Amino acid sequence: MGNDGARDIVKINKGPVVRTKHGTFKLDLPKDHCEVLTHLITELRDSLLNTTDNASLRRLFPTAYHNDAKKDAEYQRLMREELLASRLASIETALTVIGASNELSESEIDAFARSINSLRLVIGTTLDIAESDYGDPSIESRQLDSPETESNEEKLIQSDLYDYLGWLLEWTVGAQSEGL
Amino acid sequence: MATASVQPSQVLEPDVDDATKSDKPWIVIVWNDPINLMSYVTFVLQKLFGYSLEKATELMLDVHHKGRAVVSNGSRERAEFDVYRLHEHGLWATMEHETL
Repeated sequence: MGNDGARDIVKINKGPVVRTKHGTFKLDLPKDHCEVLTHLITELRDSLLNTTDNASLRRLFPTAYHNDAKKDAEYQRLMREELLASRLASIETALTVIGASNELSESEIDAFARSINSLRLVIGTTLDIAESDYGDPSIESRQLDSPETESNEEKLIQSDLYDYLGWLLEWTVGAQSEGL
Repeated sequence: MATASVQPSQVLEPDVDDATKSDKPWIVIVWNDPINLMSYVTFVLQKLFGYSLEKATELMLDVHHKGRAVVSNGSRERAEFDVYRLHEHGLWATMEHETL
């Protein structure tokens, strides 16, 4: 599981997600962060609406019966559409609350957290994140072995986004956990 | 008067393995993955199953160090419901019959 990178950032910065004494949540993100998140989540929504068979989306639709292909096929037939609908509903809520000035309910912050985590799963899959990447001072070192190319630049951007989403999710979970 | 005669007939014996298997509870397993945050996994286990922070942390650490942890068990329907909720939250969960 991932951990180290996100925690390091959390220690440095002021938190963007706070639980109020009334049990609601305040999401305080700079405008440019809101724009980036809205763009990424909209892209994810469009990808999901287009297909769920894309390799980068596979972590969003895991196997349920890992040692029984027949049962798993039946499970997927019954549940995949429901899981897709649930993800899309969370995304729609997340798009509504990003940048909103009002306080968020528990279900709204939950939808936000699940959407951020979905993004991390997709970007992490694309980056082929492995357990050994944690504790490495920089995952970029693994990705810049070859000469500088447009592809490497794209990976660096995705790597930064991945770290940022980890930082944001860590704060969100911290605020949600206060209510348990 | 005709008398009832006993005719040999084919009797379908239950498959002992299947019968035994269906009696066993199902277990829900969360598998380690390199992407989900430890804090997130702990939180999800607390939220979905009502585990204490200590119990959820213990299960999360089992997932992290041993590669997997059994987080719930019960009927097939219950296990499928739990797997679905874990998938909704992005955790890598599967189900199987408990092996004794």
